[in-house]
Amino acid sequence: MAHVDAHVHVFTRPSSEFPRLVSEGMPADREAPVELLLEQMQVDDVDQAILVQTGGTALEHHAYLLHCLAAHPDRFRGIALIPSDCSNPAQHMDQLADDGDIIGFRLRNLGGPFDPLQPIDLRASSTFEIWQHAAEKDYVLWLYPRAADSPILAFLIDAFPQVRVLFNHLMVCVGDGALSWDDEHRPHVAMTLPPVTRYSTLRLYQYENVCVHLSGQYAFSRQDWPYDDTAPWQQTLLREFGADRLMWASDFPWIVEEPGYGRALGVVDELLPELSQPQRQAILGDTARRFLRLPVI
Amino acid sequence: MIRPTPEQRRQFLDEGYVVLDEAMVDDDLLRLQAAFDRCAQGSKADWLDGINRGTQPAAFFDIPSPLERDDAFIDLIDHPSWYGLLMDFTDDDLILLGPQVRLLPPSPISYVGWHPDVPHTNPLHIKVQIYVDDVAPDQGPFCFVPKSHKPGAGPYPHVRRLEDMPGRKIFPGKAGTAILFNSYGWHTSMINSTTQPRKSIILIYEKWTEGRVDADRYAGIADRLQTPARRQLFGLEQRTRDS
Repeated sequence: MAHVDAHVHVFTRPSSEFPRLVSEGMPADREAPVELLLEQMQVDDVDQAILVQTGGTALEHHAYLLHCLAAHPDRFRGIALIPSDCSNPAQHMDQLADDGDIIGFRLRNLGGPFDPLQPIDLRASSTFEIWQHAAEKDYVLWLYPRAADSPILAFLIDAFPQVRVLFNHLMVCVGDGALSWDDEHRPHVAMTLPPVTRYSTLRLYQYENVCVHLSGQYAFSRQDWPYDDTAPWQQTLLREFGADRLMWASDFPWIVEEPGYGRALGVVDELLPELSQPQRQAILGDTARRFLRLPVI
Repeated sequence: MIRPTPEQRRQFLDEGYVVLDEAMVDDDLLRLQAAFDRCAQGSKADWLDGINRGTQPAAFFDIPSPLERDDAFIDLIDHPSWYGLLMDFTDDDLILLGPQVRLLPPSPISYVGWHPDVPHTNPLHIKVQIYVDDVAPDQGPFCFVPKSHKPGAGPYPHVRRLEDMPGRKIFPGKAGTAILFNSYGWHTSMINSTTQPRKSIILIYEKWTEGRVDADRYAGIADRLQTPARRQLFGLEQRTRDS
């Protein structure tokens, strides 16, 4: 059975060849090279992965991502970023996606905050042009939205039923000030599951173009691996979306040290032990392969 | 106390709900509407802040602590239009669990799917949904599956679209309409596809059972609960199975 890791990050130390931004979680001396990812994938029989850009939104910041995609065209597809102040997002998207290895774009800021009691004008949304262009070009939108943007999600998805949408990390919308870095150098989100934003997201299951990542448990849990306190929410996602709309992801490299790549993969079996074999296969690979149209290897 | 008519009793027992048209009218309704808008305005900024911090849902706005905010909400709890019916259906052993004073923003999806609130192992659980303003069929009205409150009813399908639930009955209504329903039954809030928020109040009651309700819940408003019946309804008076 072939596995797909549907959300990972790779990056090098910043250089003239591979420039990137330096941040608290990605200091200049930190790196997560693709070779390390491939090693870990091989150990745990993971065949393909989706490389998600980190370390900057500008075109030049994508150099290492594009390098990895070109070097391993059968193993990887990429998700890129768009600068929030981009004057021509369609052009930016096309420049990155022209050769087909970049299949979509990750969005965090959808233009909020919004007042849910006031009519929402989608065309005034800062990302409307991105959604429109994604619809035209069949790009996937990779969402890790802020809680402030939760009021507009359903409107956008309803307006663009042709856009494939993948909610990252258990469909959580992160609140202002909730994101930090923990002692293991991993992102940490101060919140409890189920997320209160579920009232704006869970019933998006009625749109067949919406899928969800089972990933990032370590960031939300108050327990050690296998993060039992996240199990009820994952079971809810399974019940509502079904395995054909869920896909596992490791969130490499944040999990390399704790809990480790193999145990990140093992979370699915630990927390959803009642899965049938076809359901398990869907979550661990088939859903990603179908939804993201990955090449057959 | 206005007791249910035989037809209302039959309707509640057989169908699981009773609709009370014009349960609130004239000054009674105007007072409620004014209190609702005043309290919503007073607490909206905190709600918006909570949405941004991820601590409040954007999909509905519940005015916090409404009973503490305005006597108009206290007076709903034993309102003559439904109090007698509730007492009758619970063998005069009624207790308030709480109110939800709620605005439902427009959205292409509902915040909730089809569900019963409690299993049949729970004491009889009844809600009263009051429309503060007119609620159009496309403005997030209450929806219920008649007879779904009965033991052994169902099973009910996991439908993708709320309107696909077999046998569902939708309840648009004028301002002042109250819908009393058995919460064992399957129900939901339909989509509000208009541009106007729905304003409604949900009062939650149960047939009293010893030890299930904290007697101090409403201690903060005890001075405003003057009659023995009202104090008992709010759980401030001790009672035992024999009382």
